[in-house]
This record gives sequence, structure tokens and C-alpha cells, in this order.
Amino acid sequence: MTALRVVELEAGYEPGLPIVRGASLAVEPNEIVALLGPNGAGKSTLIKAIVGLVPVSAGRVFLHDRDITGRAAHHMAHEGLGFVPQTENVFVNLSIEDNLDLAASILRVPKKQRLRDLYDLFPDLARQRRLLAGRLSGGQRQMLAVARALVGEPKVLLLDEPSAGLSPKLVGIVFEKLLDVRATGVTIVLVEQNVKAALAIADRGAVLVEGSTRIVGAARDLAGDPQVAALYLGQHQGGS
Amino acid sequence: MLQLVADGFIIGSVIALGAIGVTLVYSILRFANFAHGELLTWGAYLAWTALIGIVAVWGPAEPLGPFSFGWPLLVALAISAVATAALALLVDRLLFRQLRQHGNAITLIMASFGAALVLRNLLQFIYGSIPEYYSREIQVAIRLIPRDVLGGLRITPDQLFVLGLTAVSVVSLHGFLTRTTLGKAMRATSNNPQLARVTGIDVDQIIRATWIIGAVLATVAGVFSGLTVQLRPQLGLDLLLPLFAAAILGGIGSVYGAVVGGLIVGLAESLSVPLVGAEYRAATAFAVLIAILLIRPTGLFGERT
Amino acid sequence: MPDLLGLLSYGTFFLVFATIFALVVLGLNLQWGFTGLFNVGVAGFVAVGAYTSALITAPNYPDQIGGLGLPILLGWLGAMATSGIAAFIIGIAALRLRHDYLAIATFGVAVTLQLVALNAKGLTGGPFGLQFIPKPFADVITDSLAWNVTYLLITSALLGLSYVALERLVRSPWGRVLRAIREDETAAESLGKRAFRFRLQAFVVGCMLMGLGGALYAHFVGYIAPEDFLPILTFQLWTMLIVGGSGNNRGAILGALVVWALWTLSGNVLRELVPSEYQARAATLQVVLIGLLLMLILLLRPRGLLGEETVVSRHMRDETADTKKE
Repeated sequence: MTALRVVELEAGYEPGLPIVRGASLAVEPNEIVALLGPNGAGKSTLIKAIVGLVPVSAGRVFLHDRDITGRAAHHMAHEGLGFVPQTENVFVNLSIEDNLDLAASILRVPKKQRLRDLYDLFPDLARQRRLLAGRLSGGQRQMLAVARALVGEPKVLLLDEPSAGLSPKLVGIVFEKLLDVRATGVTIVLVEQNVKAALAIADRGAVLVEGSTRIVGAARDLAGDPQVAALYLGQHQGGS
Repeated sequence: MLQLVADGFIIGSVIALGAIGVTLVYSILRFANFAHGELLTWGAYLAWTALIGIVAVWGPAEPLGPFSFGWPLLVALAISAVATAALALLVDRLLFRQLRQHGNAITLIMASFGAALVLRNLLQFIYGSIPEYYSREIQVAIRLIPRDVLGGLRITPDQLFVLGLTAVSVVSLHGFLTRTTLGKAMRATSNNPQLARVTGIDVDQIIRATWIIGAVLATVAGVFSGLTVQLRPQLGLDLLLPLFAAAILGGIGSVYGAVVGGLIVGLAESLSVPLVGAEYRAATAFAVLIAILLIRPTGLFGERT
Repeated sequence: MPDLLGLLSYGTFFLVFATIFALVVLGLNLQWGFTGLFNVGVAGFVAVGAYTSALITAPNYPDQIGGLGLPILLGWLGAMATSGIAAFIIGIAALRLRHDYLAIATFGVAVTLQLVALNAKGLTGGPFGLQFIPKPFADVITDSLAWNVTYLLITSALLGLSYVALERLVRSPWGRVLRAIREDETAAESLGKRAFRFRLQAFVVGCMLMGLGGALYAHFVGYIAPEDFLPILTFQLWTMLIVGGSGNNRGAILGALVVWALWTLSGNVLRELVPSEYQARAATLQVVLIGLLLMLILLLRPRGLLGEETVVSRHMRDETADTKKE
């Protein structure tokens, strides 16, 4: 069984103009996989297509071998996919508690226990649970975003550039936390520009170029791969 | 003076209830709905039809206590609220939903402007344009404050009823938005629809809830207007500018802002009468609107533009 | 051949209105089609033009301001000036903000001007409006058909002139900036204050054309009243633009012709079919029909009959869309 399997996926915002063109990926249970690639390669579009935010025109997506291709975004959370968008990833007009509480009510999970588990995992959030999410600093906000996506006990957690806008120190803290999350049994796929940080925690990496997966390999191999380095050197600038 | 303030609160109640609908639709569906005024008109007229039906079947009822109306009006109000909500959902299904899927906010405004004209003219076609009343009873106003204190204050029981039911509606709505899952999900969706979807919220369901709440409050506002003034096909059109002014003044998207904005616009209208004359009271809303756009476009309680 | 004459007379009458509407729709197209400004108060700006020109040119009105008796040309220029000034004031307040605010503010203008028209008797003549608005060349051309034809020539010439001027404007660098602002809020943001200035210019010029249209209407009919400038007028003009195809000046003119034809036709049919005591009610059905037409166009053919001509902006839109999405 694979945790998440993407087969020859094609997706884009406008019909006839696919940004993701034949991307394939297989993620094993409890793995951390980093999706890498130059700017405009279609990484964000790919995970947004997986979670149903971008229309899929061809190919399939399987979650624990269940075909979830093309389901509406709001079904995905119920299916067991957690998603952390890159920006605007918490409800700023609700308190920390209400952010988590709402997700628990919507996904019908035992609220008290689930929130206690999450507060154990994110003690910083527990301390200020009545605070409006809009008042949180960048790092804490990212923590809340991850916690929110975890409320439904997803099988797979997808993150869109969790390091964006964070200082190197905070990136370290957030990524450490992702290792803790993995330790609870969650499979993680993250899109990252910060190749070094991502490969440091990932088991494997996949490089996306012009909308399709080109190189897939163990994280430590990719980190030193000159081919990967070359892809980032700008020959694909206009590819978006 | 006191009398003008009281009158302002009564018209302000009607505006506030309507403005809540405008601001909810704006924050969830992201467009200024020019057809919202027509929901007030339809709500008022459908209640009138229901009232006639009830009286035809059960015969006229005694007025309740000091009020000009009996239980049939309350039942008619409830029936009309359901029917008006159905109307709002129908318009959304036939028009706005189709445009949402490929249009942008501006086509939605355009469409709502067209929908307003169609709804108003349809209503005028069905009911004609002669003013109607829920009750022909003449009410004796109660003197609350003697004339020698700031001009004194007289108020009819119906007006007190309007104030009371407005307060009840606003408090219930507040409870709904802060305590219930659906209410919180509405606030979440208004803040960030995409995040709401990935959190598992069915945005279509939220949109339906928004129309239902907006239409129910519009019905209450419409019936209040019919009760304290009269029923006219232009009832909603004439209130539309005050509704927008109140919603913007309060900070668009803010329910409590809409209530405060509604009361302020109502007061401004009422207090302006001795200054500019009754014929221009409707222009007061415009003055308030321009002032707020120039001074603080995010409104009193606005979070964002 | 009285029938042919009658037909000719009717046709001229129809075309004069169509050309005046087309002129106003051109102004609306500059605002909406090219700049993305949503003006819901068109009737208000048309009214400003109509009343201004009437007050400047008409003979002295008893008991009220105005009736200066000045030349008609001055009246028309004055009409454009006052509607331009009104647009400038509203633009300052609303154009910096999201488009919804402009829609609401312009709606407010129309409502307020309607109140002024109805109540400021000393200025507008109140509900009865203004009469004795002079007709140009009426002292030279006494035959009514000949005069109508003359007037049609004037309105057509002004329409043609506006069309050519607008075509040059929208193809100029100025017009390209307008489209860029319309296409992409982010690009507009980066222009900052300049974007606001461009929007304001387009809004004012558009409203000046509306004012001119109002003046042309006033001098053709000879009298104006508040009920000539109700929201239904705004709605008709918008339907013309949407049906013709916004962003296309020829579409704007075509839309004016088509919708005005449908409007008069449906009006005539209803008058023929409906007994006179129900005519007031039947008139509301006419609005419903045109409203449904607008909605069907919005739903089924949002680009209208002609649609926008493809210009450079198509390419620009793709680029900006992609950078936004990644």
C-alpha cells in the first residue's frame, strides 16, 4: 500500500492550459517527501490539484489506494488529506482554540481529546489558546496552521512551502516539529524552495520540472546531485 | 429632540436588520448585492399575502394586547420568512451560482442590479402599486416622557415591538455566529474561503445559510417597515442606499458594525429632518456614505478593505 | 404617401434616441469596458447634463434659478462640464477603493440627484421638470420631419466624433494603461497614485459623454422631468453595453440599437395586446423581459454580441495570471 499515489496528473487553472503535465509520485506510509523544483515548475499547483483546489484534467490520485481524483476540496479533509497553504493558512478572525475547535466539529472528531493531543504537540499554542490567530507571529502562526491541518488525524499532510517568510531559526523549529508530527504516524509531503532545509528532514525528494516529475530519489543522494543543482541554475526561468 | 432620536432608532432597526444581510452576503459571496432591498419588499408583501390567507381561513383575530396586529401577523411573518428565503435561494441557484462558477464579482453586482429590477417589477405586476397596510387599526401612542423634557417622547406599542424584536434578532444572530459550528464556519469562510474548503467546510452549504439568514432578517425588516410606515413596491429600493451606507459605515463584513451602522444612519436620517426637510432624509444616507468613504473607508469595525 | 412619411418620421425619431443612447453607452464603455469601473448611477449623470443644458439655454423661468437663454452650444458644453465635475467629486471619494464602493457611491448619486430633481423646485422645477428647452435650428427648420432629420444628423455626427476619438484614445498608450489597470489589480497597485489618476480620468470623460447625452435628449424632447432619469434608464444603458459587448466601441453602438429596438418593439406589442386599464402593470413586464434578457446574456454569452477585440492585453493577462498562481 502506498500512502499517496499520483499517476500522470495533469492540472491547471484554465482548460487547455495545464501547468502540471504528467506528474507522478508514490509516497510510502510515514515517509517525508520533499517536492522540489525551480520557480514556476508547478509544485504548488501540483499539491493544490491533489487537495482539489485546482481542477484536474487527466491522471489519478490515490489515498491509501482509494481513488480520490477530482473530489471537491472540502471532501478531501474528510477523506484524510490535511493541507497547509503557503500563506493565509489560519482563520485570523478566530481564536487559536476556535481554529482547532471548528476543524474538529466539521470533521466530527472527538474534540476534547484531539485538542489535548494537539496542545501536547504544540505547547506554545496551548498557552495562548484564547488569542486571535491574527495576532500570532509568523512562526506560531505556521504551527497553528499545521495543528489545524492535523485536527482530522489525516493520513497524509501536505504543506505548501512551510518555510516561506520565516527566519532560518524558525525554519529549523518548524521543521523539527514536522519530524515530531511524523513520529505520530503521519505521512508528509512538502513543497519547498528551501532545498537544503527540506532535504535535511525528508526521506526522499522529487524534482518537478515544467510540470512533470523528473528526478526522484533518496534525500541524501539528491542533496549532492549536480543534475538537481543544474535545474535550479535558471535555464527554466520562463517556464511558468 | 427625544422624539427624533426614538424615530431614528425605529427606522435604524429596519436598516440594521437589512444591513446585516448586505454585509453577510458581501463577506461570504464577495459582492455588493443590489437585489437585497427587494428581499425586504418581497418579505413584506409575502407576509401581507399570508396574512390575508390566514384571515380568510380563520377569520380576523383580536389584536394582541396593545399592538395593532394579532397572532396572524406573526404567523404570516414566519411563513413569509420561509418563502423569502426560498426566493433568495432560487435567485442564487438560477443566477448568482452560475456566474460564481465563471464570472467575477463585478458581473455579480451587475446581475444583482438586474435581478433587483426584475424582482421589483414582478412584484409591482402582481400586487400593483397602491400602498397597502397590515392593519387599519389606529394606534394610540404612549407618552413615555412628558412634553416639557427635551420635547417629550411618544411611542406606539408597535414601535416598541419593532425595537424589541430587532434586539432579539441581533442577540440570537450573535449567539449563532459565536457559539454554533455553522456560525463559526460562516465566519471562517468569510475570512478565508479557500482555507475553509481545505478545512472541510462545504462552502455551498455556507452560502445557502447566508442567503437564508439574510432573507429571514430582510423579511423581518420589510414587515417592520410595512408595520410602521406602509407597504409599497419601492419599499426596498428606497432602503437600499441606507442599507449600503450602514454596512459600509459599520465596516463591511462586520455584523455588529452593520447594526451600529444601521442605528447611526437611522438617527442621522431622523435628526436631519429639521435641518434639510423630510423630502431629503433619504439623501442623508448618501452624505453619511460619502463621509465614511472619505474619512475611514474600512468603516467603524472593519478589518480590511 | 402618408404611410411612408409616417414610417420615415418614426424611423428618424427612433434613430435619434438610439444615437443618444449609443453616445451614453460609449461613455459607459470607456468606464466599464476599458477601465473596469462600475457606474450604477448613469441616469444621475445623464440628468445632470440634461438639467444643466436646459437651465443654461432655456428662456427665463419664472420663480426659479436659471433660464439664462444662452446659445445651445454653450448649454451642451456646460452639460459636459457639470457632469464631469460631479464625476470628479465622486471619483475622489470612491475610486481609490474596491469597485463595489464605486458601484454603491454612484448608486447614491443617482438616488440623491433624483431627490434634488423632485424637490429643489427653485432649480429643477420639481416633479413637473423643465419646459421650453430650445430646439436647435427650430426657427429655421419649421417642418417637424426635416427638423428631426437635422437633429439626427447632429446626434450622429457627435456619435461619430466620439467614436473616432474614443477609438484613438483606447488604442493610445493611455488606453493600454487603462486596460492593464482593469486586467490586474496587482499591476494597478504597483502604479499606485497614477492608477488612481488614470481611473479618475476615464471616469470623468465617461461621465462627460453621459452629460452630453442628457443634454441632447433634453433639446430633442423639449422638456425634462425627474421620471426621465429613473434607475430603469441606468439599467437599459447597461443592458445595451452588455448585449453589444463591453470593451468594444462598435459593440456599444450596436447594443444601443438592438436593445432600444427590442424595448420599443416590446412596448408596442404590450400596448397593442394589453387592454388600456392594465397598461401600467404591463409596463412592469417589459422591464422584467429586458431584465431576463440581460441575465441570459450574462449567463450564456458574457462577451456580448461583438465581444472585446483581442488586443495585447490577452497576452498580458496570461502572464500576470501565471505569476499570480505559482
